[in-house]
Amino acid sequence: MSLPLLERARSGDAGFLYTPVIGKRTRGADALVQIHGTPLIPQVPLQPGQQYRFHFDMTKCVGCKCCVVACNEQNGNPAALNWRRVGEIEGGHFPYTQRYYLSMGCNHCLEPSCLEGCPVEAYTKDTLTGIVDHSADTCIGCQYCTWNCSYGVPQYNPERGVVGKCDMCHHRLTDGMAPACVAACPQGAIAIEIVETAGWRQNYLDADVPGLPSADDSISTTRITRPVDLLPDTGRVDTQRIGLEEPHWPLVFMLVLTQLSVGAFVALWILDLAGTASSLLLSAMAALGVAGVSLGASTLHLGRPVYAWRALRGWKRSWLSREVLGLSAFAGAASLFAGLLLLDLPGRAGAGLLTALCGVLGVWCSARIYMVRARPAWNTSYTPAEFFATAFLLGPLFVRALGAGDVRMLGYAAAAGAAVQLVTQALKFLWLARAEQFEPRASGLLLSTRLRRWYLLRMALLVAAGFVLSLQVHSPAGAAATLLLALAGEWMGRWLFFVSVVPKNIAASFTGAGKVAA
Amino acid sequence: MNLKRWIGLENLSAEYAYARDAEMGYTSARKIPEKWVTTTCGYCSVGCGMQVGVKDGRAVAVRGMASHPVNAGKLCPKGLSEHYILEADNRAKYPLLRKKGKLERVTWEEALDEMARRFRAVQERYGAQSLGVLSTGQLVTEEFYTLGKLVQLGLGTSNFDGNTTLCMASAVSGYKVSFGSDGPPGAYEDLEKADVILLIGANIADNHPILCRFLEANREATVIVADPRVSKTAMMADLHLPLRPRSDIALLNGIAYILIEQNLIDGDYIARHTNGFEELREKLGRYTPDVVSEITGISVDLLYKTAVLYGRAASGFIGWTMGVNHSTKGTETVNAICNLSLLTGKIGRAGASPFSITGQCNAMGTREAGFASALPGYRKFEDPADRRELAEIWGIDEARIPARRGLAYPDIVEAAVGRKIRALWIIATNPMVSFPNQEVLRQGLANLDFLVVQDGYHPTPTTELAHLVLPAAIWGEKEGTFTNSERRVSKVNKAVEPPGEARTDFEIFLAVAEKLGCRQDLFPDWSAPEDAFNEWRRVSRGRLCDYSGISYELLADQGAVQWPFPEGKKDFSPSRLYADGNYGAKDGRARLVAVDWEPYPEQPNREFPLVLNTGRTVEHWHTRTKTKEVPILERLSPQAWLEMNPRDAGRIGLRSHDRVDIVSRRGRVRGVELRLTEIIAPGQVFMPFHYFETNVNEVTQSAFDPVSREPNYKQCAVRVERTGVSA
Repeated sequence: MSLPLLERARSGDAGFLYTPVIGKRTRGADALVQIHGTPLIPQVPLQPGQQYRFHFDMTKCVGCKCCVVACNEQNGNPAALNWRRVGEIEGGHFPYTQRYYLSMGCNHCLEPSCLEGCPVEAYTKDTLTGIVDHSADTCIGCQYCTWNCSYGVPQYNPERGVVGKCDMCHHRLTDGMAPACVAACPQGAIAIEIVETAGWRQNYLDADVPGLPSADDSISTTRITRPVDLLPDTGRVDTQRIGLEEPHWPLVFMLVLTQLSVGAFVALWILDLAGTASSLLLSAMAALGVAGVSLGASTLHLGRPVYAWRALRGWKRSWLSREVLGLSAFAGAASLFAGLLLLDLPGRAGAGLLTALCGVLGVWCSARIYMVRARPAWNTSYTPAEFFATAFLLGPLFVRALGAGDVRMLGYAAAAGAAVQLVTQALKFLWLARAEQFEPRASGLLLSTRLRRWYLLRMALLVAAGFVLSLQVHSPAGAAATLLLALAGEWMGRWLFFVSVVPKNIAASFTGAGKVAA
Repeated sequence: MNLKRWIGLENLSAEYAYARDAEMGYTSARKIPEKWVTTTCGYCSVGCGMQVGVKDGRAVAVRGMASHPVNAGKLCPKGLSEHYILEADNRAKYPLLRKKGKLERVTWEEALDEMARRFRAVQERYGAQSLGVLSTGQLVTEEFYTLGKLVQLGLGTSNFDGNTTLCMASAVSGYKVSFGSDGPPGAYEDLEKADVILLIGANIADNHPILCRFLEANREATVIVADPRVSKTAMMADLHLPLRPRSDIALLNGIAYILIEQNLIDGDYIARHTNGFEELREKLGRYTPDVVSEITGISVDLLYKTAVLYGRAASGFIGWTMGVNHSTKGTETVNAICNLSLLTGKIGRAGASPFSITGQCNAMGTREAGFASALPGYRKFEDPADRRELAEIWGIDEARIPARRGLAYPDIVEAAVGRKIRALWIIATNPMVSFPNQEVLRQGLANLDFLVVQDGYHPTPTTELAHLVLPAAIWGEKEGTFTNSERRVSKVNKAVEPPGEARTDFEIFLAVAEKLGCRQDLFPDWSAPEDAFNEWRRVSRGRLCDYSGISYELLADQGAVQWPFPEGKKDFSPSRLYADGNYGAKDGRARLVAVDWEPYPEQPNREFPLVLNTGRTVEHWHTRTKTKEVPILERLSPQAWLEMNPRDAGRIGLRSHDRVDIVSRRGRVRGVELRLTEIIAPGQVFMPFHYFETNVNEVTQSAFDPVSREPNYKQCAVRVERTGVSA
């Protein structure tokens, strides 16, 4: 049996020897650990099976945002980053109107999705306190955690190239001092308390209030005191302020090009097996080049590209690590395939099969990265369908443009890929538009309003290149043009994939600068 | 970005490092100062005690003082980020003189020479009173006291007023009528001790957030909030009275009617300490619950509930701010509030008081020491005895002291339009955002021969129009005292040096006096603010606002003390005025004032169907000169918005986040973000006034309280249209 407290005590960890400090410190506001006689931080040591958590009292909060300012000062963060945020919810009809505020830092979840997704193990859940810590030194700035958290807690700091988040002022708590937000709140609306994790796992209804994503996603530990008379129509006030998400250009290019490369190698392998291939070496080298360039370029997405190799660390948990593994394996197998071709050695059938398998695995891992609970429009089998359809469309068109096989047959193959993509896109749009959940519906709304022109253009390119040109045009120049148009369509599609996703997040205020999640 | 950072070897770990400080605990290493300078917050009049952390001559942090009786270590978001205002890019650093249409840097010598020369020229040509001075509530008391003498006795004009007339003037004149003297009777502690708290036209959650902690500490109290809008404060109430705009006098008279009808009044107190009861009772006869319900939109039941709660409470507190003051009936509304306290004897003891929650950090200081709307020490211009007393203290000829008040703020502006005021000196205020009906002000300022603007920042919408800009030190860069809403005097200290050649307002006033040749006459041997403070202590001795027992040493020892604090006083516990029932009028009695409700001056019609209400948001201070420079506050509230009920919006086809224009008979505000919300009643719209980019005062009206001269900011008739639809 593991007894973390006992272990920490034996190891002489000073942080363990926590002693209540009320009454001892009187020096200044920094030590504020109680308000109106009510303690704001726990007065007894943690026992096994317990962790610290935030308690937020909606009935006390007046929406002054002192906690936000205090948090930024505590952590020296620029104004654009807010590890603690205050959202606004409203319900009822005048004069029986209700307006409440939600002040949220990190929820230090029982099943932290940030930690699950992190490819470099920058996140740890402290065994003693349950605090979800993040190491800025380990972090490589892949920002995958920012997609994984349903509350929008981890935030990327472009100045540093790493993510940061609320750590409940871990070190202050260790020293017996209140976290900055807790100490700053004039109303005593925020406090730290102890929770029995097993019991909370059974019943965490108090983590759910209007304006917050469901605690099911990661079992938030934050306990919220609701007003007893909360009106049923109370909800967020920021729902009509739906912004576009980051395009992540390196990823847009990388995803489409690796998928092209996988599609191309599968096509080459089949052509080779069938014995109908021509200019095989050129095509394989070109496809390998595309894969290499796109994988290399994808590191530009990282805040700290030099540490890209660290992304292999988290393969047991993180789909991002697995993607890196899968696509690296694909690149290796493809090199082998190309090498055998170059040196005219036997074994191409096996190497081709291996390349195809690794490629499919890599694309599958790529797709799984995006299937996260925090981003409902991505968390669907349409995501792998879209990615594989891209490979299916662009692979044959690529080798066709390089003259690797029968122009007509490859044209049919590409058209089949285009058909899969068309059906995927159409069904996905219908699903989004009719979704009951706010976020996917908002994604559909973006595609049909603000992004409509781009979405229609993307579909037009798909139809033009995937059906008309691939079936009708057979000249070498035409094949090249077809490829370029199809590629443009897929890039645009992937850009739309990124910008139109509406992530879950906590309610924001009605007006505010910068990106708002929803 | 350097290469190491770009490839990721570097992640700015030094800038983002933490450290353990003996006092602050574990925190961002950059925010740990070398020393803490104790001072008082420079935004609002709650008067929070705070410390500024200084490192390498820069203010790097602030924190609330846990030992301070007002804020017990807490600060609002503005206070928590106050150190950022000191290093704003647009701090005024050098005197600027307009030459050939452009503001150019000049020396202080040239600036002050020019100022004295131009003022003298204007006054010689058009008379002494053709010079106007508009001051503020943001300076320290020492500076107000110095400025008052300089303007009235040195420059010889009494057309001297402050932006406090846009703020608390109605409370001042209301107190004078009801109690015979200015002076808020209560203390913050009353919020903690009252059984019933009635807040009327006071959105403390947005405007005085640190006061909310007193309500939080008193959860047993019944909190009643009268506000036409479901403000953040209304959400804290047990009982919200969503009264119609400016129907507050009817509401207060209606409550008084029920108090009398239900015999919930203190007949003994009325008999011993008040005048005017019979007259009032007769007037109140018209304010039956049915009539009042009709006017206010508050049900008869709710009226009775409110009146009975207040009447039966052992101690009842009534707090108000701008919802009451910003009105052509402001003074009378204050009288109606004071009536309730007097009728029930709920005044002068713990938990029981009528209480104006003041606006600016030192509006109280200018009221007491300022020599603008009254003589220093709550003395009256009209009272020969008061004038004689002052002349004796100052050792000057009594005739030099004006026998009546000069023009008030809006009248100075109007006089500029009419070319009676020819030169104007504006100090630490920004009328080009805050004055109602901007077109009138633009005309007035354009007519001036010479405009001096003394401010900590440049450019501001007002300094841009100046002929001469004088760069002033601001909070954090100078020494003095502030007096807060509850008459608590606290020390303000210098933490850092002012930028460039900026000087403290105190130094500027003395330098101007030097140029005018009256320095030794008015300010004999003064060199530091303490000299002014010590003279002010003598001037206030024996007055209601008695500072004579307060010294800089005492403030350093005790933190902050409430006046009256005569010499020899030892008791530092919260104090209330009129505990003995002895009021400021000659006969020592308070006046019950019979006042009438009137509809607000500009009623909506077909063309302008909506009533516009204006107000604030917690992240910003006044005209945003300071808070615009604080990145986190701008992040939290970057732009104005217009609140409108969805029922009104549906009729004109508008949706949330649409850009709209607000149009009145006077002007148009363009491109405001629309917010559809149920916190505002159908038929009304609300907009914050902080934002010069979308200035709501383009549409507000020139309607002023006849006594206090305070503008009627809170109601005017407008229509709302989609931006770009019409010119």
